[in-house]
Amino acid sequence: MRTRHNQRNRACRWTLQFTCSLIVLALSSPAIAIEPGQKAPNFRAQKLEGKGTLGLSQYRGKVVYLDFWASWCAPCLEAVPALEALRGEFPESKFQILAVNVDKETRKAMKFLEKQKIGYPSVRNPKGDIPEKFDLDTMPSSYLIDQEGVVRYVHKGFRDGDLEVIREEVRRIIK
Amino acid sequence: MILLNRLLVVAALSLFVLSSMGCVAVKPWEKDLLARPDMAWDEDPRLSTIRDHIHFSKEGSLPAGGGASGGCGCN
Repeated sequence: MRTRHNQRNRACRWTLQFTCSLIVLALSSPAIAIEPGQKAPNFRAQKLEGKGTLGLSQYRGKVVYLDFWASWCAPCLEAVPALEALRGEFPESKFQILAVNVDKETRKAMKFLEKQKIGYPSVRNPKGDIPEKFDLDTMPSSYLIDQEGVVRYVHKGFRDGDLEVIREEVRRIIK
Repeated sequence: MILLNRLLVVAALSLFVLSSMGCVAVKPWEKDLLARPDMAWDEDPRLSTIRDHIHFSKEGSLPAGGGASGGCGCN
């Protein structure tokens, strides 16, 4: 009787352990969202326009505004002219905007850029491994990175009036 | 008997966990297809508002989206 009870207990424990491991395996997520105070993950990707590659680390020493965008994302497109205006407000030696386009079809991004000229560089990342590194939870998402490569501010979405907020953050870090 | 029970429980739970693993959240940067206009629930929000208003005015009942006006169908 006692042996049977022990056997049942062992079976229950084993089943529980097995189920828990499966659930943990199913729910585990390797990426961790990048937050202010953390080092920005480095990356290198092909330029959207022209040949060659660009990497985040090459802008070390400057404040970088890293913007993730796609042609299918309406608020991303709204942000583009605003960012272009922001770019002109700060000296290039101190401030740089770097955009990461996540369109699967690059021609769609190019079509948009034909209409909306931008003076800051954009890299293409159709595979989405750069946003994966940052673990983006919304589009658009932008990261203000200081001279040492540390994320100082994260901006999610883009609405009227957001440019003022971003401008203030850039000013605060450039000082 | 215990072994059979155990196997059945493990099989059922594994099936449940494996089927739930098939439900993958679409990452924000992968929503290009979902962002297409033809994927919207409401293909024309303005037309839907007008239809809701007509429905409210004629039937005297509010659609699920809510509605407002005096009921004459003119405003």
